[in-house]
Amino acid sequence: MAGGVNNAPRSIVTTETRPVRIVLTGIALAFIGLFLVVPLVSVFIEAFRQGWHLYLAALVEPDALSAIKLTLITAAIAVPLNLVFGLSAAWAIAKFEFRGKSMLITLIDLPFAVSPVVAGLIYVLLFGAQGWWGPWLADHDIKIIFAVPGIVLATVFVTFPFVARELIPLMEAQGSDEEQAAMVLGATGWQMFWRVTLPNIKWGLLYGVILANARAMGEFGAVSVVSGHVRGETNTIPLHVEILYNEYNFVAAFACASLLALLALVTLALKSWVEWRTERLAAEDRRHATEE
Amino acid sequence: MSIAINGISKHFGNFVALDNLQLDIASGELLALLGPSGCGKTTLLRIIAGLETPDQGQILFHGEDATDTHVRERQVGFVFQHYALFRHMTVFENVAFGLRVRPKKTRPSETEIKRKVHELLSLVQLDWLADRYPAQLSGGQRQRIALARALAVEPKVLLLDEPFGALDTKVRKELRRWLRRLHDEMHITSVFVTHDQEEALEVADRVVVMNKGKIEQIGTPEQVYDAPATPFVYQFLGDVNLFHSRVHDGWAEVGAARFAAEAGDSDKAVVYVRPHEIELSRVATEKAIAGVISHSRLLGATVRLEVDVKDAEVVEVELTRERYQEGGWQVGEAVWLNPREARVYPAA
Repeated sequence: MAGGVNNAPRSIVTTETRPVRIVLTGIALAFIGLFLVVPLVSVFIEAFRQGWHLYLAALVEPDALSAIKLTLITAAIAVPLNLVFGLSAAWAIAKFEFRGKSMLITLIDLPFAVSPVVAGLIYVLLFGAQGWWGPWLADHDIKIIFAVPGIVLATVFVTFPFVARELIPLMEAQGSDEEQAAMVLGATGWQMFWRVTLPNIKWGLLYGVILANARAMGEFGAVSVVSGHVRGETNTIPLHVEILYNEYNFVAAFACASLLALLALVTLALKSWVEWRTERLAAEDRRHATEE
Repeated sequence: MSIAINGISKHFGNFVALDNLQLDIASGELLALLGPSGCGKTTLLRIIAGLETPDQGQILFHGEDATDTHVRERQVGFVFQHYALFRHMTVFENVAFGLRVRPKKTRPSETEIKRKVHELLSLVQLDWLADRYPAQLSGGQRQRIALARALAVEPKVLLLDEPFGALDTKVRKELRRWLRRLHDEMHITSVFVTHDQEEALEVADRVVVMNKGKIEQIGTPEQVYDAPATPFVYQFLGDVNLFHSRVHDGWAEVGAARFAAEAGDSDKAVVYVRPHEIELSRVATEKAIAGVISHSRLLGATVRLEVDVKDAEVVEVELTRERYQEGGWQVGEAVWLNPREARVYPAA
C-alpha cells in the first residue's frame, strides 16, 4: 500500500558481498571512533584529571557561574523567538501562496550558509560604536554590542533556520485539509491552531527546538565577535572555555567544556527519542494502512 | 435549504475554472455535479462551502446573500475527498469536534455531546469504533466517520467532494446506496461531486453535467441520459460510436443508414450511437451499415465486438452474452449494423 516500506530481508542478488560490507562498516565506525568518541571521552577525562574537587570548583567559580547564567538567558530568549518565527514562517510557506515565497525559503537558510563570524560582524557594523546606528544608540545610552543584547541578537541569527526548516516539509506534507475541516466545523483561528495544527506538528516542533537550543548554547563564532569577552559579564560558556584554555587552565577549561559535551549528549538522547517516537507513530500508520 | 448560484465566475491565473454559472438547488434534493477532472465541479463545491471566494457572482442560501459569509458561519457540512479526519483524535473526538469548538453559550454539555456523538456513530453504524484513531480505520469506515463528523453540527447543507473516489469498487457501490438511503431519511440538501457517471445517475435526484467551467445540462438522471443536450453530455454519460456525415434533405447519411437531422442541407453532422443500441444482422437490409467483425471481448455478462466499417473508425457493438451465443458471431464474419437509436448533432 501507499507509503509502505519493504522490510523484507534483502535478497542475495541485490546486496554487496561480505568483505565489501565489512570494509564499509569498518571505515564508518573507525571515523566515528576517531573523530567523535575519542575527543568526547577525552573531554571528560581531562575535566576529571585532578579529581572531583577541582572539577566542581571550576564550575562554581563566579566567572563560570556568570557564563552559565548568560548562556541560559541567551537560550531562554533566542529559542522562544525562533519558535515563534519558525512557526509563522513554516505556516506561511506551507499553507499560503504569495509573492517572494521561494525568496523567503532561501533567506531562512542564509544563517547556515554564512560564516558565524560574518554574522557577528554584521551586528557590529549595525550597532557598534562606529556602526550605522551606533551614534544614535550611544546618545540614548543603549548598549548592544559588547553587551547581552548583542549576544542574544547574534544567537537568534545563527539559530534562525532550525525550527522553520524542521516544520516546512512536515506542514507541506500534511497540507491544509484538516485545518479547512476544522474551519467548516466552526472552529476559530485559535481553536484550529491549538486543537488541530499544533498537535499534528508537535514532534517536529520539539525536534527543531532541541536542535536550536543546542546551537544557541554552543554558538561560538558569532557570539565571540559581539561579546567583547568581558569576564563575568559578557562571556557565554564557549567563550569562557576559550579564555580558560588560553590561560593554560586546562582542568577548568575542560570542566566547562564537559558541560557543553553533556548538553550535546542530552540533546542527542532527546533527539533520538523524538525520532524514535515519530518513527513509531509513522510505522503504526503504515501498519494500519496495510491492514485495510 | 435552497441554494441559488448567480453568475459565479472563478479564475486561477489564466485558467477559467468557472464561467458565469447559474444554478438553483432545491431544498432537500440530492444533486450531483458531474464532469471530467478540471471541469470546475470541485471549485463550485468549495465556493458553495465558502472555502473559495468567487471572482464574480452571488450565492444565496435560502434567498439570503451568503457570498461574504465566512465558512465558519455558513453552517455547511463538508466531506473532503480524502476525509481530512483529525489524525491525532479518536473517532469520538473527531465527531465531537464541531460541538466542542462552539462558543461557551451554545456549547452542549459533556453528557449531551456524548449522547449526540454516539447517536451519529450509530447512524453511520460505527459506534464500536469510537476509541479508534483514523489511521486504524479502513477507507469506507473513514468515509462514514467523516460524514458523521460533518453531520454533528446539524448543517443545513451537506457537501461531499468525490465521496467515493478513494474506495474500491465494491465498497463504493455499497456506500452510495447507503448514502442514498441516508439522504431519504434526513432530507438534507446535499451536493456531491463526482467524475463517475454511473455514481451520479444512480444516487442523485438531479445531475448537473459540467465541462470546462460551464454547465452543459441540468436534469434528472433519465433526462440527461435519454436526452443529452449536447454531444459532450452524450459522450460523457456512456460509451459511444460516432460517425461523421453530411446532411441531405434533413437526413444524415452513414453508409446506407439514414438518421433524421435538424441541421440544414449539406451541413456536416456527427451521428452518435451507443454500442448496446446496435443490432447485428447477417442479412443486408436497406438501411444497414456493412462491416466485418475484427475482435470480440468478453466483459462478464456482456460481449463487446469491434466491427471494421468502411470509411469510419472501428464501431463497437455490445451484446448480452446470450444473444452473442445465439447469434454464433465469429471474428472475421461480414455483418450489417442496424442502429436502433441515434442522435445527430451538428459538427462543431
